[in-house]
Amino acid sequence: MSTAIRNCVVTISGLVAATLLAFLFFYYVPENSGNIALIYILALITVVRFTDGYLPGLISSVVAVICVNFLFTYPYFELNFTLSGYPITFLEMLGVTLLTSTMTASIKTQARTIAEKDKLLAETEKEKMRANLLRAVSHDLRTPLTGIIGASSSYLENTTLLPEEDKIAIITHIHEDANWLLNMVENLLAVTRIYNQSTTVKKTDESVEEIVSAAIIRLKKRLPEAAVNVSVPEELLIIPMDAILIEQVLINLLENAITHSQSREPVLCYVDDDAETVIFHVRDYGVGIDPDRLNNIFDGNSYIGNKESDSNKGMGIGLSICKTILTAHGGTINARNHVQGAEFYFTLPKGETQNES
Amino acid sequence: MNLKQEILLIEDERNICNFIMTTLRTQDYKVTFAGTAASGLSLAASGCPDLILLDLGLPDMDGLDVIRNIREWSNLPIIVISARTQEQEKVDALDAGADDYITKPFGTSELMARIRTALRRSALNNMSAFAENRYEAANLIIDYEKHIVTVDGKIIHFTQIEYKILTFLARNAGKVITYDTLITHVWGPFADSNNRILRVNMANIRRKMEKNPADPQYIFTEIGIGYRMIDNENL
Repeated sequence: MSTAIRNCVVTISGLVAATLLAFLFFYYVPENSGNIALIYILALITVVRFTDGYLPGLISSVVAVICVNFLFTYPYFELNFTLSGYPITFLEMLGVTLLTSTMTASIKTQARTIAEKDKLLAETEKEKMRANLLRAVSHDLRTPLTGIIGASSSYLENTTLLPEEDKIAIITHIHEDANWLLNMVENLLAVTRIYNQSTTVKKTDESVEEIVSAAIIRLKKRLPEAAVNVSVPEELLIIPMDAILIEQVLINLLENAITHSQSREPVLCYVDDDAETVIFHVRDYGVGIDPDRLNNIFDGNSYIGNKESDSNKGMGIGLSICKTILTAHGGTINARNHVQGAEFYFTLPKGETQNES
Repeated sequence: MNLKQEILLIEDERNICNFIMTTLRTQDYKVTFAGTAASGLSLAASGCPDLILLDLGLPDMDGLDVIRNIREWSNLPIIVISARTQEQEKVDALDAGADDYITKPFGTSELMARIRTALRRSALNNMSAFAENRYEAANLIIDYEKHIVTVDGKIIHFTQIEYKILTFLARNAGKVITYDTLITHVWGPFADSNNRILRVNMANIRRKMEKNPADPQYIFTEIGIGYRMIDNENL
C-alpha cells in the first residue's frame, strides 16, 4: 500500500517538475526544442529509478509523450499525432522507459540478494561462534566440576579417617574450583549480554581509570596474592563502552597473565592514548606464548590441538569471549610475545564524545 | 557484654540461607530467617531486627516493594543481596532506600564488613546526625569544621565542588553512593543527570589525593552504580 502511494507521489512530482522545467526552457530558449524531450527523458529515468514495478514508468512515458505533443509542439495545446516522425519519438521514449525500468529492477533485486546473503553470513558466523563456545564451555566446565564432586565425596566418605590438614586441603581445592567456575559463568553471562542486544553493545561514557581500578579490585578479591603494576595516562580518558564487559576483558587478561606466565613478577597493566583509539596493555614477564598458538589463540578451541602441554583449563574460552566483546565494541584484540614474556593488548575506539573535552 | 545484635535474613534459597546463617552465628549475631517476602515483612515488624539482609529475587513480591514497605515505618539498615550483572536493579534498590548491596556470590569477610558498616552507621545516625566532626581512614584526615583535608599530614587543596563530593562520600564512608544521589547532593535536583562532569571531578580528586589514580586507596568505583569511600573500621 505504502509503495503504491510512494510510486504515485514520485511519478506525479517527477512529471510536474519536468513540465515546469520544460516550460522554462521553452520560454527562454524557444529555438532549441530538443531540450524538452531530453528533460522528459531525464524525468522518466528518475521516476523509474525511485519507483517499484513497470507501471509508473509506462504511465509516465505515455504522459510525457502526450505532454510534449500537447504543450510544446505546434499546434500548441492541441493533440496532433500526424506530425512527421512523431511515432518514432513515442517509441523512443517508451523504449528508454522500458529499458531503464528493467535495469533498475534487476539492480534492486541484486542489492536485495546481496543484503540477504550478508545477513545470512553474519547469522552463520554468529551460529558458529555460539557452537564453538558451547563446545569449549562443556569441555571446560567438566574439569572443575569433576574436581568438586570428587573432592567433596571423598570428604563425605572419609570424614572420620581424614587428618585435619587433608580436610583443609580438600576444601581449599573445592573453593578454588568453585571460584574458577564462577569466573566462567560470569564470562558466559557477559556473552549473553552481547547476544541479548543483537551483537552491538549498549555503550555509555566511562572513565578508563575507573574501569581499570575496578577490574583490579575484583581480581584481587579472587586472587588476593595477585601482583599487578598499573598505570593510566595523566589525562582523564572518557570513552564509550559497556563497562561490565570491558572490566571482564581486563580481568580475563590479567588472570591469564597471572596463572599462565609461570612467573612471580608483577603483571604490568597500562593504558595508551592514541589518536582514534585507547589501547589497553596487559604484559607479563613469564614464559610467553607458544608461537604456534599465537594465530588462533582467540578462537576458543586453541587448546584442542595440544591438550597435554596445556592442562590449564579455560584459557581458550576466556580469550574467545574477550574477542567477542571487543568485536561488539568495534575494537580489536591481539597477542604477541615480547622479549621477556607475553603481552595482550586491545583497542577501543574513542567515538565522537571525546571531541568536546 | 553487650546484647547480641539481631539480623533478619529474607532469602528463599535454602543453601544460601544456611551458609549465611552459619556464618552470622559464628560471628555472634542472632539470626532470624524468612523464606518469603510476606513472612519477612511481618517478622521485621514484630521482631524489630537491627538489620535486614534482603534478597531481591523473592518468589512472592518484588524486592523493591519490600524495601519501600519497610521504609514507610522504619529506618533500620537494609542490605540487598543481588546478582552481578544487574546494575540497574541495584541502583533502583539503593534509590528505594536500601543502605547497601552485596553481590552474589560473596565471601563471608565481605558480608561481615558490610554488616558492620551498616550497623555502625545506623548507630551513629541514632545518636545524632552528622555528629562527627572529622573523618579518618588510612592516612587521610578530613576536618569538617576547618575544611582541611590532609593525606600523610600534607594539606591538599580542593575546589568547592571537589570538597563537597569528598565530604559527602566521607560522611557515608563504607556505603555505596549512586551517581544520581551524588549529583543531586552536589549540583542540586535539577542538574543534568549526565555524570560526565562527576567523572571529571572525581578524576581530579583522585589525582590530588591518590598515589596512583588507577589503583585507588580511598575512593572506589562500583561500575555502573556509584562510588564507595573507604570506611574507617576503628572509628
